[in-house]
Amino acid sequence: MRLRTKEYEAYLFILPALSMLIVILGFPFVMAILMSLNLAWVKSSLLGFTFENYSRLFRDRVFYNDLIVTFSFVVSTVGFHLLLGLGVALLLNMEIKAKRFFRVAAILPWTIPDVIAGLIWRFMFDPLSGIINSVLARLNLIQLPITWLSDARLALPSVVFAEVWRGYPFVMLLLLAGLQSIPQGLYEAAEIDGASAWKRFWYISLPNLSRIIMIAFTLDFIWECRRFGLVYNMTGGNPGHATEVLSLYVYKNYFVFFNFGYAAAIAVVLALIMMLISFPYLKASMKEL
Amino acid sequence: MLRRKLSAVALVFVLAIVLAIGVQSPMAQAQKKVTITYADWQLGQVIWGRILRESFAKFERLNPNIKVQDQPIALAQLGTKLSVAAMGGKGPDVFATTADLPRQFIDNGWLKDLTPFVEKEGGEKFLEDFYPVSLKLVTVDGKTWGIPKNIVAMMLVYNSQMFKDAGLDPSNPPKNWEEFLESAKTLTKPPTQWGTVIVMAKAGFDLRFPGILRGHGGSFLTKDWKRSALDSPQAKEAFNYVVDLVRKYKVMPPGPDAVGANEARRLLAPKKVAMIIGTMWTIPEVSGMNPDLHGWEVLEMTPVPIKKGLDLKTHTVLYQKSLFMSPNTEHPEEAWKLIKFITDPEQMQTWFVWQSMLSCRKSVNETFPPILQSKYAGLVAKEIPRGDFLPLIPQTPEILDTFRSALTSAVTGMEAADAALARAHAEINEILAR
Amino acid sequence: MSKRNTSDLTRLLIYGALIFICVYNLAPFLWMIFSSLKTEAEVKSYPATFLPHVVTLEPYANILVWGGFITYFMNSAIISFSTAFISSFVGALAGYGFSRYTFKGRTSLMTVFLASQLLPGVLLVGPYFRMLTLIKLYDTRIGLIVAQTTITLPFSVWMLKSFIDTVPVEIDQAAMVDGASRWQAFFKVVLPLIAPGIVATTIFAFLLAWGDLLWALCLLSSPSLKTVTLGITELVGQFRIRWAELMGASIIASLPCVILYLFLQSALTRGFTAGAVKQ
Repeated sequence: MRLRTKEYEAYLFILPALSMLIVILGFPFVMAILMSLNLAWVKSSLLGFTFENYSRLFRDRVFYNDLIVTFSFVVSTVGFHLLLGLGVALLLNMEIKAKRFFRVAAILPWTIPDVIAGLIWRFMFDPLSGIINSVLARLNLIQLPITWLSDARLALPSVVFAEVWRGYPFVMLLLLAGLQSIPQGLYEAAEIDGASAWKRFWYISLPNLSRIIMIAFTLDFIWECRRFGLVYNMTGGNPGHATEVLSLYVYKNYFVFFNFGYAAAIAVVLALIMMLISFPYLKASMKEL
Repeated sequence: MLRRKLSAVALVFVLAIVLAIGVQSPMAQAQKKVTITYADWQLGQVIWGRILRESFAKFERLNPNIKVQDQPIALAQLGTKLSVAAMGGKGPDVFATTADLPRQFIDNGWLKDLTPFVEKEGGEKFLEDFYPVSLKLVTVDGKTWGIPKNIVAMMLVYNSQMFKDAGLDPSNPPKNWEEFLESAKTLTKPPTQWGTVIVMAKAGFDLRFPGILRGHGGSFLTKDWKRSALDSPQAKEAFNYVVDLVRKYKVMPPGPDAVGANEARRLLAPKKVAMIIGTMWTIPEVSGMNPDLHGWEVLEMTPVPIKKGLDLKTHTVLYQKSLFMSPNTEHPEEAWKLIKFITDPEQMQTWFVWQSMLSCRKSVNETFPPILQSKYAGLVAKEIPRGDFLPLIPQTPEILDTFRSALTSAVTGMEAADAALARAHAEINEILAR
Repeated sequence: MSKRNTSDLTRLLIYGALIFICVYNLAPFLWMIFSSLKTEAEVKSYPATFLPHVVTLEPYANILVWGGFITYFMNSAIISFSTAFISSFVGALAGYGFSRYTFKGRTSLMTVFLASQLLPGVLLVGPYFRMLTLIKLYDTRIGLIVAQTTITLPFSVWMLKSFIDTVPVEIDQAAMVDGASRWQAFFKVVLPLIAPGIVATTIFAFLLAWGDLLWALCLLSSPSLKTVTLGITELVGQFRIRWAELMGASIIASLPCVILYLFLQSALTRGFTAGAVKQ
């Protein structure tokens, strides 16, 4: 299907985008690596480099804590996004009344910038003036207000809850598009053969959705690993470091404590982990494109 | 259908851009005068902000070629915002900071040396009206880096009406931390009323908790400011005291780790808590938040408690607001005029009238009648000699953040108190060793 | 699916689930709207009320008077629109290149484009801040626009390539047979055909840029340049700002996003899934 003439023309079309990426992504990336090795902007010697920042990283308990926090945050948000997204997509793919209304209602949370979602949920979880404790108190389920965001065990789940709310509609949209593209004939044939709804889902819907699920997973995984605004505004990483994801720790080290080299080292490690996990999926998503 | 949607969207874009251009052009016209930007966390408050802006209006009348543009900054972000801007070679021309920041800023070259301006105003003669302790904060190597504005000592502010209602004697407030705990227990009636709240969020932490630490005979650092002193039994006691207030005795409202200076006042105003660590500014602020409280009558002040049996020369924390100039300013002469104007005796008097703040100028505190007549001013003035700043070293903001994070960890049950304090001790030593 | 043999019970369950989802999705919106209309005393009361007892517009008045909110809003509009325009234009060119040519390293180059998203913003923002300081572009709109293009460009390329794929290659060939050059075929034939796709991509980029906090937080300091998201974030913790005002400001800031997304949801889904849904 593709034109085979004049290959060099292709590079002309791609060149502007490529050069922009190199200048504004590639260059800072290389700088970050140099900074993490204390190579750039070190007053004393420009040539020497050290692994000091990395060895400090391995001794830093806060780093390990934040790594676990990031991991829990990403795994649970992406997991719930996929589960809830699939469930709601199946619901919306049925013959229902007021379809338009339900569709709009279902994607609305995704339209809110994560920075603002963080604020809304921080207010909802507020122990005294928030709605969640208010509902629980009015139902007589609690005597004293629960400190959602100030409790070591509850803080991270609360943040995850907020991000699940905001993020799942996107996954749902993708899966719904996938469901709608499955030919109706397949279902009808299965039904004639007497396959149950569960079997139809398991043997027809799911296999046909696999590619879309992979794309959704990859995108969502990348986005959640980078998540910053929601956590920054909802808890700022508090209490202690209970909700401090790595991106927040990098920001703090760079722009609050001015440990530039150390911040860069953490960020490089974060990027490496993200690449290791998602690169195979990314490559697979690219196939046939 | 899609086409119609798209044209609607396009229309919105066009409108937005036209509007944007419309808003931009009048701004461009106002550029002819010299504009001085002024950043201050107190601009972000109704009354203080209004008074500051009124002062600017007066300043602009006196100096018709200068325009002052105000920039409110949230107290918790003050250090971060100003330092990032300074690193980027920008930042407000003139700004105010609290006492924890100046050394870090001087050390990093983020302040303009004001000595030449001071010399021109008469040098020693210009400075002699200021308290020595105030000048100590802004002077390094004999150079003057900032001009002091207000100074106060931190006090315990309590609601005498709530004391009465709970059967406590309002004329006999807690003098030591043991009595403080007993009063707090008596005053706690959840879920509507608690005894106290200690600030543990970033905004204002530097002024409140250290008083408790000192009041137990402890301190963050050793006397030479070279090492952490948090492994002392006194520090442990103070740390555990606060953790117990929250976890064991539950005399603070839920979620104290998120309570900053202003949230604490918002809890005092509707009588949700009865005692907070505060000072002169607490009274007008809290009274303004809830007129029904009749703050000027029911709120009383007493020195921050000390542990029973201890005899301490200094124990409370001093607050000082000082004004600084950015080294990146393009209009140093105009910026100096603004600094001089805000710190002149007349502006100091206005500031007392509206914010109840004592001046860093002796002449104002000693002669201004409203200060002499205030029921609070005398109490606070007596405490100033018994107070001190936090260690005057560049690492102080980072040390405070590290400590605060350990304290909130312990208070929220993430870590055992001893482990959290030991971690803070080690981390602070690491910061000091760098 | 089919409506045959769905019993009343199943139907009840389906609608029950749908209503539950609606409550979960919409309650925060209602809470945000109602809270923004409450008086200070009511916002602070415990347990909190859901509907305001007394409706007041004071929070909105306060935001307009205090926050410099009109300026923030305009800054967001200018910055996000410029970002979206640049990344759509450059993205359309690259998308065409990827769609119409087979060349060495095509797949790996596309993978590199998408993989660039694996570099977290926090990794880049520090060095980028240094770069901008050196060339005196810190605290300028240009610096921020260029930075935000990094977030949006890879997605723009991906989406636009999927849209261009839907235009049969014979159409380009026909135009070129008629004497048009490759560039003319791209500009005059292909671009108009994928206009809806371009608008969708532009708006998606616009919204990504609009929702950004990290870059604005680190690259801007003057109030006259701040974006809406940064403006709101910095209102938190300012003494005069209360929840009612924050919620009012949140509504104003998210309104453009809500409207644009709802307009464009179908085009957006197409852009993201075009490659995967085809088969």
